[in-house]
This record gives sequence, structure tokens and C-alpha cells, in this order.
Amino acid sequence: MEVMTAALRTLNSLPVFWLLLSLPALAMMRGYWTGDIIAMDMLHPTGEFSARFMIIAMMISPLITIFGNRGWTGWLLRRRRSFGVAAFVYAMLHLVFYIVDMEELGPILAEFWAPGIWTGWAAMLFFVPLAITSNDASMRWLKRRWKILQRLVYGAALLTLAHWLLIHDGMTGALVHFIPLFMLQLLRMIIIYGRKKKNVIKADSPQPL
Amino acid sequence: MKYPAITATLAAATMAFGFSAPAHATGKMTCEAGPQSGWVSRADLEADLVEKGWKIKKSKVDGGCYEVYGTTPEGDRVEAYFHPVSMEKLLVLRRGKELFRKK
Repeated sequence: MEVMTAALRTLNSLPVFWLLLSLPALAMMRGYWTGDIIAMDMLHPTGEFSARFMIIAMMISPLITIFGNRGWTGWLLRRRRSFGVAAFVYAMLHLVFYIVDMEELGPILAEFWAPGIWTGWAAMLFFVPLAITSNDASMRWLKRRWKILQRLVYGAALLTLAHWLLIHDGMTGALVHFIPLFMLQLLRMIIIYGRKKKNVIKADSPQPL
Repeated sequence: MKYPAITATLAAATMAFGFSAPAHATGKMTCEAGPQSGWVSRADLEADLVEKGWKIKKSKVDGGCYEVYGTTPEGDRVEAYFHPVSMEKLLVLRRGKELFRKK
């Protein structure tokens, strides 16, 4: 029985979760190494997974606002950092394949100001400080400022959405991914606003003597 | 669930968005080129372009034309449309920006 418990604990552990998050990358890389998929065609899957994991990470706070601190929301919260860092790693893969596909600096510079391109670079720029501070040491060092810094993710998300809409043929994929996040954030804001109003009313109510 | 009414409304709205998405089609260029038996082969088109200084990543059929992904002799990373019979260059786009369109 103890072996079972230990095995289940291992399966539910963070390192195993990291492994799960890396499975899409392993599948993609296999396609690339065997020559089935060229660098150009690696851009869409790497970008999609980067956006997906970022979106999942961003859904967790709204889910907690809506559903409260339950078992499953706590489970997700403990894994939020891994979703975020995974989003960064897939974004780096995306960038690497972009450079491999473009081959030379010339074409990269020539198209830099295309709206679909510079938004990608800008999103990556926002990702970097988020990734660098995704560790306990940064949280200890920055304290209250850590949370403020992590709000850069909203900028990263908007730039990612813009990049996806502009670079891709068709809006469906981007919208299907981002609209649920938008809806959850909207619901979160409505609920928090409602709570604040309630507290204001409570604070204004006549108190018993 | 703490807020069933609002949650249900937003879930429904989300699903309405998700499932009402229009069908995907590039539609950037169409060619009236007749049956494929009369077409120049993609390999021949690619070879012709490479001779002119293009670098080809891949090509496919789109809208009855040949669509080529690659780098122009001028160093632009483009998607370009060619007529599959005359091999005429019809449209060249660099990340959505029209660099060339046949009049």
C-alpha cells in the first residue's frame, strides 16, 4: 500500500507535471528531426502551445475568484509556475524555429516592422522578465513588487493575441483560445467589483451600539 | 458554484463565439487554369524560380494557383502565387503586406 501511495505521489509531483508539459514539444521535435516537418511548419504548433499554457496560467486566478479555494483550484495554483515557464520555453522554441526558418539576418530585419512580426518580438520581450522572476528567490527578493511585475503578463497576453491574429490566416484559432480567458477575467472583475461594493455598503451601514 | 447566473451567461456567450467561427479559407488568389493535367509541375516551377535566385521552402496548391513559400532574390521572406500554366507571378505577400500584384 505504501508503494502505491508513493507511486501516486510521484505521479502527482511537479517533476512529472513538467514532463507532461514537455510531451507536446517532444512530439513536435520528433517530427522535425525525422524531417517530416520543416522549421516553417514548427512555428504554428510551438506558438499555439506557448499561448495555450500562458492562457491556462492566467485562468487560475479568475477560477479561484469564481470557485473559491477548492482542491482542484489549489492543484492548478501549485502548478501555475510550471504553466508559465512552459509557455516561455515553447515561445523560445518558436523563436528558434523562426530564426532557423529565416536562415539569415537580412530577411528578419526586412520584415521586422510587419505588424504580425514586431508584436511577436514585443510579446517575447514581455515574457523575459516574467520567466526570469519565476522562482522563489525572485519572490523573496522582490516581495510585494513581484506581484506587480507579474502583471506584465497582461501585456504579454494582448501582444500574443495581436501577434496571432496578424500573423495567421484566419482568426478562429486565436479567438477560440483567448475569448474564454477574456470571459473569465471579465467575470472575475464583476465579482470583485461586487464584493467591494458590498463591503462599502457594509461599512456604511449603521453599526449596533 | 457561487455565481451560477453570471457564470452560465458568460459560458453561453463564450460557446456562441467559439462555435460560430466562419470556415477557414485563404482566398488570396484564384486562378482559372483549367484541369491539373495541363499544369506545369510544381517541381518545374520551383526549379525555374531557384534559377532566378529564389529560395523555396515549400509549395502547394491554393485557389487553383501555385503558392510558394520562400525568399525572393531581393531577400524578402514571402508567400507568392504563380499561375500554374503560364508560371506568371501573380501576387507576392510579405507577412500580409503586398509587395507585388499583377495588374
